[in-house]
Amino acid sequence: MCDDSTVQKRVLIVDDHQPFRAVARELLERAGYVVSGEAAGASEALAAVAADAPDAVLLDVQLPDGDGFAVAMALAATDGPAVVLISSREASDYGRRVTACGARGFIPKSKLSAAAFGALVD
Amino acid sequence: MASAAVTAAPSREWLRDPVLLLPAAVAAGLAVGWLGVHEHVAGSRVAADLALAWSLTIASIVALERPRWRRASWLLAAAAFALLVADLEWASPRALSTFGLALQGLWAALLIQLALTFPDGRPWSRAAVFAMVAAYAVTVGGQLAADRAQEIASIAVALLVLFLVLRRLHGLRGPARRAQAPLLVAFAVTIGTGLFWLGSLLAADAGSYSVQTVVRVVALTIPVGVVAGIGWSRLRRPRAAELVVDLQRDSASMRERLARALDDPTLDVAYRLGDGRYVDAGGRPLELPHGDGRAITTVTAGGEEIAALLHDPALLDEPALVDSVRATAALVLENERLAAEVRSQLAEVRASRGRIVAAGDAERRRIERNLHDGAQQRLVTLSVALGLEASGADPETAQLLSRAQDDVEQAITELRDLARGIHPTLLRDEGLGAAVEALARRTPLPVAVRSTLRQRLPDSVELAAYFVVAEALTNVVKHASASQASVLLVRGHQDLRVVIDDDGVGGAHIEPDSGLAGLRDRLEALDATLRIESAAGGGTTVCAVLPCA
Repeated sequence: MCDDSTVQKRVLIVDDHQPFRAVARELLERAGYVVSGEAAGASEALAAVAADAPDAVLLDVQLPDGDGFAVAMALAATDGPAVVLISSREASDYGRRVTACGARGFIPKSKLSAAAFGALVD
Repeated sequence: MASAAVTAAPSREWLRDPVLLLPAAVAAGLAVGWLGVHEHVAGSRVAADLALAWSLTIASIVALERPRWRRASWLLAAAAFALLVADLEWASPRALSTFGLALQGLWAALLIQLALTFPDGRPWSRAAVFAMVAAYAVTVGGQLAADRAQEIASIAVALLVLFLVLRRLHGLRGPARRAQAPLLVAFAVTIGTGLFWLGSLLAADAGSYSVQTVVRVVALTIPVGVVAGIGWSRLRRPRAAELVVDLQRDSASMRERLARALDDPTLDVAYRLGDGRYVDAGGRPLELPHGDGRAITTVTAGGEEIAALLHDPALLDEPALVDSVRATAALVLENERLAAEVRSQLAEVRASRGRIVAAGDAERRRIERNLHDGAQQRLVTLSVALGLEASGADPETAQLLSRAQDDVEQAITELRDLARGIHPTLLRDEGLGAAVEALARRTPLPVAVRSTLRQRLPDSVELAAYFVVAEALTNVVKHASASQASVLLVRGHQDLRVVIDDDGVGGAHIEPDSGLAGLRDRLEALDATLRIESAAGGGTTVCAVLPCA
């Protein structure tokens, strides 16, 4: 279900909802990704990226200490990992910010799958 | 609050019947006259001194008519006697002569104090205090200094006083101008003549009696100015009698009519409400001023205060005028007060409606946030977990799981639409233009959006405009059988115009229970208007105009 190039991809999961992080980790690990870490907030996410240098970040838009767009912009500015935004809202609820923040793409949380994720980061 | 206009009367008591002042001045004058003749002083000089001293005395008595002029009255009397005492310089006994010489300029310093503290006895400014002190120093203390130094200092002080008087004259308005200008003009002329005399002293190095006489003759205009100021103010009083007719007939505002009747353009009317607050005619809250700059005269009707007139303190010098205006105004102000009270209550109701709408909006934001963070979040996690399980399960279970996931998806979609209808996230984050465009994209027929918005608008305006568009587009979809629609957002100088147009069947109107009617409170809280044009077969146009500066 996945080729060799994805096997070693290391992913950071950023979401303030622990049960969702657990499901996302399971989903990504089954697909052959390595989850390098989890973060529950924006500042935690930036620290984890600096520490673990993941290849990709699964990033929730609504975070308790800021929004995912700001985190995505900060990461894009430093030529950091590929960012995939997720939200329980739809992309149209956020307008132009989705495309302007430098993220690879946006997946509504309920549509999250390894295939959708892989299509954006691989 | 006591009326300031009627509190000052007792001050006249000190010389209600000026039996002492006038005979004393006459006696002192006759003594000085005898001294002058005996010592062979020029007759014109003696006559000028007596004329000035006696007219100052008369002006002093006349000035008592005005309560606030009490100190001015004292200064006039003091100047009169100082002038006579200074003439002791003519006396043969050396002690008397020296005494008279020492007090030579005191009368002038007293008159300078009079001018710079006119009319209520308080100095106009720090510069005036300085000029007064300097005047006493050069006229009395200066006797000890060398003649030339005293002359130069006197010229400097005179120039300063002249400047202050002219500046004061320039700034006088209304009733204060009528009452005070004559004295100040007389004073400026006298100072000018005095400067001429000081200049001649400097040039000729010797005192000239004839120029001193001229100065005294010119100084006669000062007492004349005092009396003229009072007379000029009195001339205005008949107007108060016309006020009764004028106040009831004229269409100008009450404030303007009272300002005209009292000739005080700065006059304001503060209406007193039942709860003790004051408001202006428009019902806006008003604070009564404290301190020197303004005077307050209360207007009562039936023993109850109904209004306060805020005016120039100079009007306190004309209690008769103020009283007659006050009595007349009481008849008319009661109606105005009731109107102001109603306006004030209306403003309160409007403000409270605005607050209720704003509180509702805050609650909507909170509910949207809770739905998103709570139920929606859990359903989303559930949906992903179901998908995950389905991918690893046997075909039969996988089918069951994926059907369950579809149901959860459906629930998520419904919940999301509900949350969006309660409070659109995009509107808060990105503004009206982006939110309306998203709305248009979700509408199941082509909707063209044109917007001239460049900046964010107040939350309440954006939200109201958004709901109008959402409601109108919902109606287009439900009822209009239209093939397309358009939304126009136009930012004017003072308003936002929202127009939603469709090419459907028309014939729509705002039903009492419809969604658009439900927006009425929200729109009225913003002073916004909503119109609908919908001829049968001609499509429908909904137009909302929302004021925003």
